[in-house]
Formats: sequence, C-alpha cells, structure tokens
Amino acid sequence: MLLREVEYARPATVEEAIALLSENDGARALAGGQTLVNVMKARAASPDVLVDLADLDELRTISFSADQSAIELGAMVTNTQVIASSEVEVARPILAEVAATIADVQIRNRGTVGGNVCVNDPTNHYPPLLAALGASFTIRGTSGERTVSAEEFFLGVYMTAVAEGELLIRISVPTRTPGTGDAMAGITLGAHGTYLASAVATVGVDGARIALGCVSSVPVRATAMEDQLADGDFSEAAVRAAAQGLAASLDPPSDVHASAEYRGHLAEVSAVRAVLQAAERAKG
Amino acid sequence: MSTTSTTRTISVEINGTSYERDVPASLLLVHFLRDDLDLTGTHVGCDTGSCGACTVQLSGEAIKSCCMLAVQADGSSITTVEGLASDEGELTPLQQSFHEHHALQCGYCTPGMLMSATALLEKNPRPTEHEVKVALQGNICRCTGYWNIIEAVVAVGEGGAR
Amino acid sequence: MTAIETEAGTLQKGSAVGQSVPRKEDGRLVQGQGIFFDDVKRKDMGYLHFVRSPYAHATIESIDVSAALEMPGVYGTLTGDEVAILTDPFFQIAAPPGGHVKDYALAVGKVRYLGEPVVAVVAETRELARTAAEYVMIEYEPLDVLVDARAALAEGAAVLHEDCGGNLSYSGVWEWGDVDAAFAEADHVVSIGELHFDRFNSTPLECDGALVEYNRGTGQWTMYTNNQFPGFAAIMMGPAMRVGLDKLRIVTQDIGGGFGNKITSHPQLVACCLLARKLKRAIQWTEWRTEFHQSMSHGNERWFEGTEVAVKADGTLLGFRTKAIDDAGAYLRYEPLGGVIWSQVAAGMYKWRNIRLEFTQAMTNKAPVSPNRGYSRMQQLWFTERVIDIVAQTLDFDPVEIRRLNFVQPEDMPYETPNGCVYDSGDYPRAMDMALELIGASDIETRRAEAASRGKLLGLGIGSTLDSGTNNFGQSQLINPELQFSGNNEVATVKLDIFGEVVVTLGTTPQGQGHETTAAQVVADILHCDVDTVNVRAGHDSYWNSHAGFSGTYASQFAVTGLGAVKGAADMLAGQMLKLASMVFQCPEEALELADGFARIKDNHEAALPFMALGAIPNANNAGFPDDPPTMNCRYVYRPPFEVPDKETKFGNLTLTYATQIHACIVEIDPETGVTEVVDYAAVDDCGVRINPQIVEGQVMGATAHAIGAALWESFVYDEDGNLLTPNFYDYHVPHTLDMPPLKTGAFESPSPFTPLGTKGMGEGGGGGIHCICSGIQDALRAAGGAIVTDSHNPYHRVWEMLSHPERSRETIEVTSR
Repeated sequence: MLLREVEYARPATVEEAIALLSENDGARALAGGQTLVNVMKARAASPDVLVDLADLDELRTISFSADQSAIELGAMVTNTQVIASSEVEVARPILAEVAATIADVQIRNRGTVGGNVCVNDPTNHYPPLLAALGASFTIRGTSGERTVSAEEFFLGVYMTAVAEGELLIRISVPTRTPGTGDAMAGITLGAHGTYLASAVATVGVDGARIALGCVSSVPVRATAMEDQLADGDFSEAAVRAAAQGLAASLDPPSDVHASAEYRGHLAEVSAVRAVLQAAERAKG
Repeated sequence: MSTTSTTRTISVEINGTSYERDVPASLLLVHFLRDDLDLTGTHVGCDTGSCGACTVQLSGEAIKSCCMLAVQADGSSITTVEGLASDEGELTPLQQSFHEHHALQCGYCTPGMLMSATALLEKNPRPTEHEVKVALQGNICRCTGYWNIIEAVVAVGEGGAR
Repeated sequence: MTAIETEAGTLQKGSAVGQSVPRKEDGRLVQGQGIFFDDVKRKDMGYLHFVRSPYAHATIESIDVSAALEMPGVYGTLTGDEVAILTDPFFQIAAPPGGHVKDYALAVGKVRYLGEPVVAVVAETRELARTAAEYVMIEYEPLDVLVDARAALAEGAAVLHEDCGGNLSYSGVWEWGDVDAAFAEADHVVSIGELHFDRFNSTPLECDGALVEYNRGTGQWTMYTNNQFPGFAAIMMGPAMRVGLDKLRIVTQDIGGGFGNKITSHPQLVACCLLARKLKRAIQWTEWRTEFHQSMSHGNERWFEGTEVAVKADGTLLGFRTKAIDDAGAYLRYEPLGGVIWSQVAAGMYKWRNIRLEFTQAMTNKAPVSPNRGYSRMQQLWFTERVIDIVAQTLDFDPVEIRRLNFVQPEDMPYETPNGCVYDSGDYPRAMDMALELIGASDIETRRAEAASRGKLLGLGIGSTLDSGTNNFGQSQLINPELQFSGNNEVATVKLDIFGEVVVTLGTTPQGQGHETTAAQVVADILHCDVDTVNVRAGHDSYWNSHAGFSGTYASQFAVTGLGAVKGAADMLAGQMLKLASMVFQCPEEALELADGFARIKDNHEAALPFMALGAIPNANNAGFPDDPPTMNCRYVYRPPFEVPDKETKFGNLTLTYATQIHACIVEIDPETGVTEVVDYAAVDDCGVRINPQIVEGQVMGATAHAIGAALWESFVYDEDGNLLTPNFYDYHVPHTLDMPPLKTGAFESPSPFTPLGTKGMGEGGGGGIHCICSGIQDALRAAGGAIVTDSHNPYHRVWEMLSHPERSRETIEVTSR
C-alpha cells in the first residue's frame, strides 16, 4: 500500500517527456495513474523515475483527422472525456459506450485511453475494442514518430510497441461508415467489473471483425469465425455456426474465477453475442 | 528542461485553504491529506483502489485519493468531506438527507460516498436512481447494502422530499 | 424501494422508544469528524509494519533484522524469539489436544499460514517501515501444506502444532432424542452425500489497527483500537503479557464495521504493546486490506458429510444424522467455540426432535478463523435449509408447504428444542407468508415464462433463518469442561452531572449499530426527557469502569444486554431522582413523577425540580440532609438468566433470544454462461420490540448485502500451496451499487418474554440471503437438468457446472423408501 522512494518529474512538453524517458533508466510514464499507482503500492513494479504527463495538453485533445476518416484521441484523453465527447458520439460511439463500463466514475475521471492500452492487461477494455475497430497507434521517440496497427502495438501481457524512451501520442480510430455496427459483449465479475471474457465485433458490408480479450496475452482475432461470416449472413443460426470450435481453438488462462475451459466457452458465447448485436446495429 | 527529484514542493488548495508543502514523490494524496494536513475524514479501506473510501473532489471531479500521488495534485483545488458543512456546522442538504434516510451505519465509507454524490449533484441536480447507482459504483459499503444511500441521494434531487 | 409493515408489540412504549429517531452518531460521521483508530496520532509515533510469512507452512530457520535496523529512521524490531521470552502463550479455549496449541503475538519457530506475522518493524514513516521490512532476512524451510480440513485429519498428514500431536482441535458427538427410532419410523430416508459451507468473511471497510502508548511510570498501556470485544481481548492479553488487566486500557470510539471480524486482533495488539514498551514511543499499526484478507478472521468453512434425513410420507421431518467437519485455520483464537455455538440452532426452525451431529474441527494452513456475521449458526441454518429444500425437491413436496408443516409454530412458543435451547417467540409461518407476498410469489409462473422468453432461467428461493442472540458462555464448557466461563453480562452507567446533564456510558463497542441513539431513546423514556438531551459517550473505554468480562459488541445482543444494562441504570437513576425529590419536597415518592425534564409533585406541577437541581445537590450542595442523598450516578450490570448447561447431555439454554428473518429472492440464470443475477428480493424481520425500526431495518439490509456477496462472489480460495487467490478487492468481489437487487422489507414484532425491553439482538441476521439464493438457484435449475445446490457459494463457474453436469449433484442424493 506504500510506494518505494521514486524520482519524479513533470515536463511541460512532449519533447521534454521523451527526453526524460530516454535519459533515465527505469523511467515510466505516469498518465492517470489508476493502474500504475496501484502497481507501485503493491510493489509489483517500482520504477525509478516517474515522468508525469499531466501538463502535456497536446495529448488531451479529441479531434478528427484531416480527411475526417478517423477520430484521433490523444493518449492522455480520459474515459470521462471520451464519454462526454460529441466528436466520439458522431464518429464512433462504441468508444463512449465501452468507456462508460470501465470500473467506476472515479477511475474514469483519471484513467486515460493511452494508459489503458499501454498497460495491456489482458482483461482491459480498450485493447480488444481497438483491435476490432482497426485502430492505429502513433508513437514518438527521440528518433521520430511512427504509426503502427493494433496487431503491431499489442505485444504481450503488459507489453506494447512503446519502447523505453518512447511515448504513445495518439490513437486513431476509423470513423464509422454507414451500414456498420459495433458491439462489445462479455462476462464481468460483478456489474462493471473486471472482464472474465470479452469480445468486440464490428459488422459491416465487408463482413465482421471480431477481437477477443482475456483469452491470451494480446487481443485475439477470431479469424476462422470472421471467414465463416464473410458472406454477410448474420442470422443467429449462421453466427452460432460460425462460432463453432472457437472455444476449442483457444488456450485461455485459468484462474480462480474461470478454468481455461470455462473461459474459452465464455469467449465463444461473447463472440456470438457481440456479432449479433453489432449486426443488429449495422441495420439501423 | 525539467529534472527529476524524490521530493517536490506542491501548492494545493483544499476546502478553500491554500497549502504549500514539500512532499516525497512517493506520498499518496490520501496520506498527504490524513497524515500531513490532519484531514482525517478521508479514509483508507483497501490497497487496490477498489473501495472509494478515499474519494475526494479534485477540480469538481470525484477521484480516489489513494490512486493519486500528492505531487500529481500540485496546483489543484480539492474538496474533502471536511469542506462540505459550513464552518458553523450547518450540514449540506446531502449530509442532512443521509442523516434522515439512515444512509450510514459505521460511517467509514460515508465521506467517500458524500464526495461522489456531491460531485454527481453538482453536474446532475436531479439524478435518477440508476444515475445515482452509477455515480456510487466506485464506493463500497459493507454496512448498509446501499439502498438507503441511493434513496438519500435521489431525495436531495427531489428537493429533499421524504 | 422499501416498505415497512409494522405491528407494534404489546409492551409499553414511551415517546422515543419505537420511533425511528435519526441517529446521534450521524452528525460527526457525515462531517468526517468520527475518530477511527488511524485518526489518532502521537508525536514521534513509530509506524509498525509486519513482515509476514510468504509460506503457508514452514519452519523458521533464521531471522536477521540487522540490515533493517541500520536504516536511518528505523526505530526497532520485534521477533518471535523475543515474544516467546516476554510473554506466555495465549490461553486456549480448547481442551487437549487443541488446548496444546501455542499461540503467540508473532510466529515462534514456524509459520503456519501465508501472511502470518513473523517480525515487526517500526520506523519513522509508514513507507519507511514498509521498505525496511524488505531488508529483514528470514530463512524458511517449507513443509507440506494442508488446505483441506479433511486432509488435515487424515492419517500421516503434516502436523501444524506438534504439541497437539495432530491437527484435530475439537471433536464431539451431539445427539438428542432417539435418532435410531426416528429412522426406523421414517417412510423415506433421504441421503445427501456432501454439503459445503464456504469460507468468506464480512470485510469491514476499515481493517484492524491500533495506536498504542505505554506509560513507563504506571506500567499501563493505552490502546486506541477497533477491537470489538475488549473483554475477551483483555482476558487474552493480560495473562500472556503477565500483567493485570487494569494495565490494559482499551479505547474505541468509531469503528468502521466489525461483523465479528475484529474480535481476534489480540496477538497484534500484544506486539504493539511490547514494542511501545521496548522502543519508548507510541506505536501506530494499520492493517492493509491484503493483510486483512490473508490473515484475519475468516469465517468457518464447514462440510456436512453423509447426511441422512428421516421423513414421513406427509413430509414431516423426524430427524437427521450428519458429520460436520469444520476448518479452523492455523490457530485457535476464538475456536473451537464454533463447535458448540451452532447448537443454539441445532434444529434450525423446524420441529424435528431427533438429531445426531458429529462435529470435528481441524486446523489447516489457512488464516485463523474467527467469528463472522452469523457465526456458526449461519452454517447450521444453511444446512437445515438445504436439507428441507433437497427433501422437498427429491420427494416432490412444495418448498413453502413443507416449511409450513415443519416450522415450529407460534403457539409452541416459547419452544424448547431437543437440546434445551428455548426459542423465545416468533411466528415463522406469518413471516414466510409476508416474504412471499412481498416478492410476489403468487405471480411466479408468469415471471418465469417472461424470463424464459428472454432466454433466462428464473427461480424463486426461500431462506428462513434465526439470529440467536445473547450468549450463555456456559456453552463453552460443552466443548471444554474445564473452562470457568458461564452466563453473560453488560454494563452501563447513567448519571446526572453537576449541572443536570444526563450522561450515559456503555460497555459496548458499536461499529455502526447506533448504540448511542437507541440507548438515548431508552433513557429518555425512563427519565421523561428529550432524546437530544441524553448524552451518550461514544465507544468504549476501560477507564470508565463501564465494562465487565463479556463487554463488547458481538453475537447479536446489544438490544438485550446493552440496553438491558441501560434500562437497569436508568431505572435506578429515575428511582434516585424521585427519592431525592421526595427528600427535598418532604413528601412520599408515590406523590412524585418524572415529566418533561423535571421531578415534580403529581398534583402540583409548580413544585418541580429540574435535572440541574437534582444533579447539583448530591454533587455540590449536599449538606443538611439527615440521610445521604442518592448519588445520581448509577451503574448497572445486566445479567441474563442462565444456568450452566448439562455437560453430559449437552442440554441447556445457550442463547436468550431468537430473532426471525425470512428472505425470498428471484434469481435469473443465463443458461449459456451460468451468470446468475438476483433480480428481486424481500426480507422480513421479527426481532421483538424494535427500539428504532429504521436502525433495525438497516441491519437487515446490511445482512442481506453480505449474504448476497457470499452467495455469488465472496470466497477465500486457496491453492494447494496455501496461497490465497482472493487477497484483495480485485479478486474478492464484494457487491457494489449496481450489483444490488431492488429490496422490499417487512417487519412485525413478537416481543421476547425473557428480556427487559422485549427486544432481541438481531444485527447478524443469520445468512438468510445465502439460504434463499441457494434455494432460488436450485429452483431455477429445475428447468435445466435439476441439479441440486450443495455449496453455499455459487459463482458463475459453479452454476455453469450445475448446468453442464446436473447429474453429478443429483447422484449424491439417494432416497430409500419403505
């Protein structure tokens, strides 16, 4: 419950932040702190240096890309901001809908989208969501800026493409096109609790994109199911048939709440539900 | 170019009073309030940021002060439970409603509940029962089962009707 | 959201008792001005952090604190070796072999559960103590781990306490009536292979802790703490520390929930005391949530194996046989009292007369058990409720009607159970009917069909339970005949101060039950003054001389013992006030009355003495009276009427009162996932006379919330190495606002004929919610394989198992019919 001694800095610009991160061994970026501060309280990790991003206003914006094809969330955008954003509501409302189910108001007020994806806890909400939506992630370091896909971004448990000395700058999410529907479904430990299994589906004219959380170290695309749904038949029978074998294809972790087998089953059920709901929304 | 340091001098305004203190970077905001400033109304109930007993308002928003370092609060304006009633001890309608609805038993979660509810009512003066539940979802109570707490907050919105 | 149906009892009520007077406690608590132990500070106090065992079972090979001691700002340490020199092992309630357990303030020689305190480190700041703890070097040699009580009892199992020779702490056979004859008479014998009541507790939001000071001049310790049973703590600490109990001042003011889980902090308090003396400074100890979950006060996990139930053709239950195996964890701190306390409700709410229960308790490498809301009776009542539901389903009886048939009836009250306990009053059928009406049971099939149309399985559950209150500690002799404890007591003082203020002190340690308010209500009515003018001191302080051996707040008794003491002292004071007025007015006492804050002549209200005068006279103006004016300072010890139970037959009255709670719930199960939701809920309470109906309802609500948590989410789960897999609120999910169903409550009053005010203790509740949710799940599953619920804890994965393999539980039930 109590932190070890730590060095702290609060840079005024992104460049300063990157410089601090690259020049100090064992430096971690501090965003909302809803995960990192608790990790440090438990002493599960004790970074030597905290680089507080609080003053980096350029990371707190929500805006459209120049060609309006994507909505761009600064890494320090909080969940509360996402929920309240009229841009999000217009561009990709699933982001706000999911944000509203994360934990509780207090955590949403401080927790950031960037922090949530950089932690990449398998039970987190944003990784499977952004993987399904085909988001891209812009990372800046001393050698410049690069943008990667979700597959390239999420590398392992607590591991992302953001290397030491780098900072996630923004996340770009394609705006929703007509005839597209998004949904997230899953089983949580209590209302708005931690996910035991989660699935996100985007259904459109090109078929479905389905990403599963909780079952692996990174979000998993249910590609076999996606292939089965390529013909555009999203009737309940077709979706259930497409999901056959999904659980068996997974190797989920086992814990006190769910065995590997049960978790796999919950993932399969969640995938079906997410697709059906997304398909329903695609009609409207 | 900013440098790193294990301590920082912070300025915070709490319940309308300004404080300037030199604090370790490792100090949690909740311990800063309780131990350094003797504002012991804000409580600690867990060690994973789950229970909300430490909830205060920072710039009007409800936040868990055990999930924040004191240094992160530099430059902020904070309200704790001690800042609700007037100096003469006149309770806010919310505090009075808690009293009337038996919305507290041991009182340990109560400051956190009051701060979350205060933050809600400032944005949404007439919340529905569901909106109150969502606003208090991050505050654990083990004594009341929440029913009276929710009723007490809804009642404030309805003009304190009972 | 709630509805209260009230029927006033027949006893006299003044203008305050019986009213939902808003609480006196609230003013300070809503302003954050409560004083909880962690709010108490002393200059230069040392913060204590316990170095805890990472092993569930190991010998301690070496301890080296030198690196920690070298750190600037570290004030000192305490190890088990020092403790073993400075103190004697804690008194053990158990007879041999359990009585041979050696329990100290820190681990001595070996560790027996993960999280056991091994070394204490004290430093200038909390963070430094925590960091310095990492520099304490301890070498352990791991031993085999036992996490199942049945395995702990098996031949060749590793032994936790060598002095005990094995892991058995207590065993006994409890038998009454003629069990063999009952089974011979039965038309059906229902056998239930195994029932399991899971391990959890009430996780009060505030954890344990203390601020302890030592006065070197007087040799006295003062502990600002939240231990909820100071009488017990002192009795444990004094002999261990080799000091008289007057050297141990225990002070509580506000306590952030107790629920029984704050009864056994005496080992940690001893560590604090030793350090306060050794380091010559106040010691501040705050337990963290993870530490609490790992090491403090788990509830009794209990199996009921090989249960057999004798049933007549019409559904009358004649009796049962079962073997109860109970897991006490690594040390016996309040155990093995759990081995007798269940028998307060041996028969549950039913009339069967023939009972045999073999009770065996074992120690395991888990956190030590201590009372948890509903302590040991909840397990027994869950058992009887499972039995009646399983018998009903197996033999095709209606669960409501079979209860109605077998309930102890209101005309039987007071009812003596087969083991001599006396159920004082109650009307179970009426409470059940009320609960069923509140939940809309008559409509259930419509609701079931509607849920089915949404793809959900719906079930209606009933859970009936008793909250037995005001213990006769003589029951301890039934598990250890050598013990010298019996009866019970509680103390209160009521006085008029020099300016006539009414001041009340209690021996109790409230943790939210509103003692200040209800005590003031009782006093106000007796003294005929306003509730607002009665000052009740907050909390407990052994300096007040307002406590006795059993003082504290536990075991559902305040409304009887605490308020019994308050009534006694207030009656005494009222008598003294009239006596003094008669001395002043020179008239007989019969001519006088107390009214509106005065003692006055009935026929002449002008002749009136205000409280101020009555207080001032004996305190400051007492010359001129031929006889001593009464002191206006009254201390009363309430003693409930008990005999020592018969040790041979294990027969006798063990608790004075029995409050009734009957709960009903509607659950919905998602058949695709096993996710279970409680969608509607009703709870009916009958606790005799209610001093403050709103406070009573609050207790019912809290007990309901605890039970819902335990039924669906809360469990202390260990892996085979003794690691606790649910050590904090991430994995040990407790209900939050969005998890709660709508709730309707109902109440009526069957006054107790045995108590001073007709009240009954009722704060624990009896786990009614667990019983009714198990019942509801089983009902819901009738449409999907008919699994039998055999576990008190039914998280999603267990419900899924019952959906996937209903035959597994059904196969554990056998019926033999003649």
